[in-house]
Amino acid sequence: MTTDALPATPSAASRWILRGLTGGIITALPVVAIGLYFIGFAPNYYQHLAAAALVNLIIVVGLQVFMGNSGVPQLGHSAFVGLGAYGLAILATPVALKKLSIPHAPFGLSQITLSPVIAIPISFVVVAVLALVSGRIISRLSGVAATIVSLAFLVIVHSVFLHWPELFKGNQAFFGIPKIFGLPAIIAGAVAAIVIARLFRESATGLQLRATADNLQAAEALALDSRALRRRAWLLSALICGAAGMLYAGFAGTISPKVFYFQQVFLTLAMLILGGMGTVTGAMLGTILLSFGLEAIRSVETGVSVLGIQMPAMLGLSGVALGVVIVLCMALRPQGISGRYELDEAIGALLRRNSRMDKAE
Amino acid sequence: MLQLEGLTVSYGAVQAVRGLDLSVAKGEFVALLGPNGAGKSSTIGAITGLVPSKGRVILDGKDITRLPTEARIVRGLTACPEGRHVFANLTVAENLRLGAATRSDKAGVAADIDRYCTLFPVLGERIAQAAGTLSGGEQQMLAISRALMSRPRMLLLDEPSLGLAPMIVARIFDFIGSLKADGLTVLVVEQNAAQALRFADRAYVLGTGQLRYSGTAAELAGSDLMSMYLGA
Repeated sequence: MTTDALPATPSAASRWILRGLTGGIITALPVVAIGLYFIGFAPNYYQHLAAAALVNLIIVVGLQVFMGNSGVPQLGHSAFVGLGAYGLAILATPVALKKLSIPHAPFGLSQITLSPVIAIPISFVVVAVLALVSGRIISRLSGVAATIVSLAFLVIVHSVFLHWPELFKGNQAFFGIPKIFGLPAIIAGAVAAIVIARLFRESATGLQLRATADNLQAAEALALDSRALRRRAWLLSALICGAAGMLYAGFAGTISPKVFYFQQVFLTLAMLILGGMGTVTGAMLGTILLSFGLEAIRSVETGVSVLGIQMPAMLGLSGVALGVVIVLCMALRPQGISGRYELDEAIGALLRRNSRMDKAE
Repeated sequence: MLQLEGLTVSYGAVQAVRGLDLSVAKGEFVALLGPNGAGKSSTIGAITGLVPSKGRVILDGKDITRLPTEARIVRGLTACPEGRHVFANLTVAENLRLGAATRSDKAGVAADIDRYCTLFPVLGERIAQAAGTLSGGEQQMLAISRALMSRPRMLLLDEPSLGLAPMIVARIFDFIGSLKADGLTVLVVEQNAAQALRFADRAYVLGTGQLRYSGTAAELAGSDLMSMYLGA
């Protein structure tokens, strides 16, 4: 038995909380560094972009919690982002503004304004209730069936947003939401999401869920209840996505249903696939890379001059790029950039290998 | 310890096991032999509750036929499925931890992980490696250790020799034989009759879902059933 293998044996079983916390914090460090740089040095416009990218990061992390651990592909997560955003919007927008936008809201909702401290927990409850109901169905399915049902769920929620204008203001923008969150709050939210997702991954539920994704037959022989495990992950995933929606609404002040639809679904899905859906690190890496990458492409899209030569405008290039990322990733490296390892695990393995090589010399 | 009474397993119109009676006494090592398709794995599935069945499964005098798999594991009945089935993307340590999913004594679980890492030093050396990087024999050792992590009183082994080199098979059976000395009750399903009979007290032979023979291992080894059903 080699010496470096010894400590891992007893601690692996009992210290998952410590591993999850340190792993989560290490994974969140690049996010904090980039976020602080933007707060300190970037102009206002770029701070807005950073906030949008970080909201996407939280959504991708939420997506990873279910999809990455259960191995069940799903496309419905933006429904929960929308529910969180509209929950906060409907409850916290001042009455004066609601008289303009949703004067005929049911349940007397146009007559009240709740403090965000109350509106946020209520929005979480709404998200949780819908997650519990949809989770009961999703958890029974696997493969294509689960994907299709999650997609149907997204379409249903989107249709309700569109066709219940008394409450959601239809396809028009819902404005006047109090801007209670700034970039620092969104950074804090992203860090919290990463740490929670990493803790979940290391927890008994997370490990057992990963086992069901890895080998369902063996998991059944050990009596792991894949449905119950998937339901828990679905709920946590929904709450994280809902939080992203609330942060977005409380930052932007204006939302509309189309924000929480296919475009967001595919953007966040591409981010997760690029980074690697098996790990929280993958969610972080994919979001950062694709956020910067797409911003660079957008600046080219409108036509730039390179070395004095005016390039033609290539509208829609970012959409093409997004599709190309998904296709190339699936073809060349389906496990994504991060593969199987979390950032801290990769660093640990590298350090061990170096010390082994030192010993060999 | 374990009795099967009139156990029948059907897949649609096909009956894989037909009215099987079988018993295993406490501390006994019993081999369930037979050619491919004889219904051996279906029998294991019925005992663990993963495959629906008719008839009765009795553990320690109690009818457990309607109990879910988890409750059977808690009562001391754990199976190691056919074809090794380790969690390839999870580490060796995580595989072992998962075997103890029904236990809540963390210190005991950690001690047991240590125990199997000492018993199989290769597991200790690769504790943080993905189980998929282990060789076939090592994966089988991990799969059996993982099944033992639930601290069963009775272990069901489904084809532990499948796809392994003869030398490795002998080592695996040496280990399984040593479990008997520890007081564990073992029911092993095998096509490799010669290896299974090295340690078995008694043996049952299945052919197309029905019991063809039952008796002591020594009697079976001397009978012509060996050539008829077991190709040995």
